[in-house]
Amino acid sequence: MIEIEDICEPEWAEWYRMTPRERWEESARLWHHYVAMGGSLDPEPDTQSPFYDPQTSSRPPVDGRPGLRVVRRSGV
Amino acid sequence: MGGQACVLYGAAEFSRDLDLALLPDPTNLDRLEAALAELEAEVIAIPPLSLKHLEDGLAVHFRCKQPEVAGLRIDLMTNMRGVAPFPELWARRTTFEFDDETLEAMALPDLVAAKKTQRDKDWPMIRRLVDVNYLNHSDEPTPEQIFFWLRELRSPELLVEAVGAHTDVAAQLTRERPLLKLATAANLANGMLGRALREEEEEVRRLDAAYWKPLREQLERLRRRSGGSRETPGT
Repeated sequence: MIEIEDICEPEWAEWYRMTPRERWEESARLWHHYVAMGGSLDPEPDTQSPFYDPQTSSRPPVDGRPGLRVVRRSGV
Repeated sequence: MGGQACVLYGAAEFSRDLDLALLPDPTNLDRLEAALAELEAEVIAIPPLSLKHLEDGLAVHFRCKQPEVAGLRIDLMTNMRGVAPFPELWARRTTFEFDDETLEAMALPDLVAAKKTQRDKDWPMIRRLVDVNYLNHSDEPTPEQIFFWLRELRSPELLVEAVGAHTDVAAQLTRERPLLKLATAANLANGMLGRALREEEEEVRRLDAAYWKPLREQLERLRRRSGGSRETPGT
């Protein structure tokens, strides 16, 4: 029989084994941390979405990864 | 019905927005508007909130301004391609009861149906949604779970195992899902099953794109009429 670890990374295996309540609480913690760090609540431009509007699409994140916004940086 | 439901079912760790499926009924719309007012939620893109737009299959996008949830996006939909009407969704919803709150989420098979879109990002989510359910329940499955897995599993290894464990049900479903006939260890090894799964996905994505073509045109007409939307809803 295939085990969870056989098909996914250890972090995902741990997540899969949680109860819905544990996931909900952990996700809420992640959300608060993300917002506190200045994470954007805007969705990235998604050209595959039926609702995508090229006229008004926002720019992608500066590092190209989802949801990271520069809130302060040195002059470098 | 979106990312938050995926968190509850185990396929996502985090979602930045809240997607709601709504019963398209005037009284319900009044209740919704009252709830949105409490959150100081404003429509941020075309179309405006109306039963007609929701019944047409469009989504309405909001952003909250209430300080505790400032910036939170809420997306509303009523009709989704390949998904049952709201009364059926509600009748078979999953209720998660925690100490101080009750969460109503779309049933897992309905959530999977709602995620069958033309977007790349929905397909890994579908795979994880079904994988989690299979891996946590394959020891003692219900008949409904067996049918669900054989209809929806997208991880080739798990599909081969599930078909091997439930050959009778798999035989019943081969007309509905022909690739079940390919779910063997040999076809897993030679890549044929993986290719069949990708082709199956591509066909569904084509159907979704065709479904959305007139709705995209409708959205575009609404945008032109309004002089352009204020910001892109993105998803």
